Amino acid sequence: MTRDLEALRAEVRSWCEEHVPADWRERQTGVSEDEYVEFQQSWFQELRQVGWAVPHWPAEWGGGMSVPEQAVLYQELARADAPRLVLAFVGIHHAASTLLHAGTEEQRRRHLPAILDGEIWCQGFSEPDAGSDLAALSTSAVRTGDGYLVNGQKVWASGALHADWCLLLARTDPSAPKRKGISYFLMDMRTPGIDIRPVQQATGHSHFCEMFLDDVLVPAENLIGAEGEGWQVAQATLGAERGMTMLELAERLGFAALPWLVDLCRQPDWRGHRPIDDPAVRERLAGLEIEVAGLRSMCRRFVEESERGAEGPADASIVKLHYSELLQRLTGFGAEVAGVAGHQVLDKPISSGWESGAWVLDFISSWEWTIPGGASEIQRTIIGERGLGLPREPLPAKGTA
Amino acid sequence: MIIDLGDDAAEFGRVVRDALGSAGGDELVQRAEADPAGREALVGDLLGDLGLWELDVRGSGDELEAAVAACRSVGWWGIPASVPERLARPTDLDADALVVVGGPRPAAPVHGSSLRWVAVDLDGRRSTPTARPLPTTPRKAAMVAEVDLTPVDDLGVDDVLFGLLLPCWTLLGMLDRATALTVEYVQDRQQFGKPLAAFQAVQFQLTEAEVERAGVEELAKYATWSVATRRPDALADVLALRLAALEAADLGMRICHQLHGAIGFCDESTISWISRYSLPLRRLPLPVSGTRTELTRRAGRQGIAGLYA
Repeated sequence: MTRDLEALRAEVRSWCEEHVPADWRERQTGVSEDEYVEFQQSWFQELRQVGWAVPHWPAEWGGGMSVPEQAVLYQELARADAPRLVLAFVGIHHAASTLLHAGTEEQRRRHLPAILDGEIWCQGFSEPDAGSDLAALSTSAVRTGDGYLVNGQKVWASGALHADWCLLLARTDPSAPKRKGISYFLMDMRTPGIDIRPVQQATGHSHFCEMFLDDVLVPAENLIGAEGEGWQVAQATLGAERGMTMLELAERLGFAALPWLVDLCRQPDWRGHRPIDDPAVRERLAGLEIEVAGLRSMCRRFVEESERGAEGPADASIVKLHYSELLQRLTGFGAEVAGVAGHQVLDKPISSGWESGAWVLDFISSWEWTIPGGASEIQRTIIGERGLGLPREPLPAKGTA
Repeated sequence: MIIDLGDDAAEFGRVVRDALGSAGGDELVQRAEADPAGREALVGDLLGDLGLWELDVRGSGDELEAAVAACRSVGWWGIPASVPERLARPTDLDADALVVVGGPRPAAPVHGSSLRWVAVDLDGRRSTPTARPLPTTPRKAAMVAEVDLTPVDDLGVDDVLFGLLLPCWTLLGMLDRATALTVEYVQDRQQFGKPLAAFQAVQFQLTEAEVERAGVEELAKYATWSVATRRPDALADVLALRLAALEAADLGMRICHQLHGAIGFCDESTISWISRYSLPLRRLPLPVSGTRTELTRRAGRQGIAGLYA
């Protein structure tokens, strides 16, 4: 039964007043990796104790909130400027949805409670030659005794340095058509043969990692879904990234990013002018408000429909494309309003959302959003082909698709 | 009005670009970042041997053209070695380099510099800048330090023109390079069994960036002529150039990053370095909205004459 939403709102709000550490932003700015991990773990456990760490999971596994309740929860967390669950993100979204969608009962029992206890996950999908064309991946998994021997290289494995487990795609049948020969594995990151190298990024961070796999033995019981059906399972996982996670992110735009932007526009500049008194600025703000309202409503409908298995074939792509480009427009406008002073903010807290209020840095990191989880070009192709039923792009040479 | 650079200037630009290429090319920006105090010396003698520091930037239209062509070539390699700033130095003060400053917390790319700097604001007030210590790494700051200003005089109206014009050419050089790198990348990078460049959706994004870049190139030549001939509108022309260059850089760098994918955000790709070192040029002394405001203020009610007056 759906709880009274206003009661829930009041409950979350007063909990946040007591529990969101007032100084978390300072404590998470310029910190070491260890301090970041420790803070994320302890914040996760605080939310878990009140049942708010994984509200989107089924009740039997520790979730069970309705979509409107989740929206209220995310709104209040955003309003209170609560830290985000950055480290647990892949575990509570991608790993969980993969396990719920395709895992055996035993796999679920092994991992879902462990994720609640703080097990960290990363994703081993992309490879140097398989980015947008993910199905071209060439990491191999060769059956041997009661396991698979994995060899290859993965890239852009965000957070791999801290991960306990990895969602891994590897090719088990090199002779099958490229989408048919892929299998999906749960890989223990403590297995010998895994070498992780962080990659230095333009933002100065290195959360992207390269992962080198050299004769890594993955037990057969860690295959998820049937051998050769990894592509279908991966679609479900990517679907989660594109769609379900957007509920929280869209509410953050509405209840953190946008109000902060309006506040910023109320601050007088050094000449004493307030941007908000400029009709052009007001018009931009109103335009963004309309877009954010539209996105929030779209996300909510999408999540409700996908819970019923009734979502449209391109809905997840529409939501992801809309969010990522809107985030860029919104943070770009923030950077513009913040002006030169905004450019002098050179650090932002590591546990914050994609909108942290450090507008210039937020704008730069928003550029990342139109690339992973299916670049905007891929989303547009999906919307054209599956959503609108347009003809497929001319296919490349035979045997490569 | 002649708005094409002379052959000599274009040739000089090529010579500078090749010389920097032979001296290290893309490694120069990396060396500059690793050793901020040595970043000016890194290319100073080399450019001096080519005669760059002897150019009569203020007095001769031809030599100004050679100077802007050199600034563009420095932008091609993205080297933060204070080259446009040295070329813009005032001739009536004993100084090595000029930077235009603005806003309540003036800042300039002077970290680690051993040059004698003069700062000028948009109204021509000149001062001596003293750099404050960086609150962060030179990498994150991209060599930009906040500066304290000790007033000198208010005779810098002419300085503003050169202090704004020359860095625009460096930014143009960075856009040239970003475009070239991306054209190369989308032809090399294969996905779905063909180069990215075979997808029209990829081509069209890149052409959009190119149209903007080409527009800046035209405006840059026009503004250079306007400054060389000290037209009454010259400051508005330079601000208009700056605005166009900033808008083209915002769009162009976005597109070049998008088409490079994740690799474009990593130090192993050149686009990441070029894009990072374009930031100080784009934000100082005024980012887009500030430049627009100044342009509106200067152009006033009569507007600017522009290219086809």
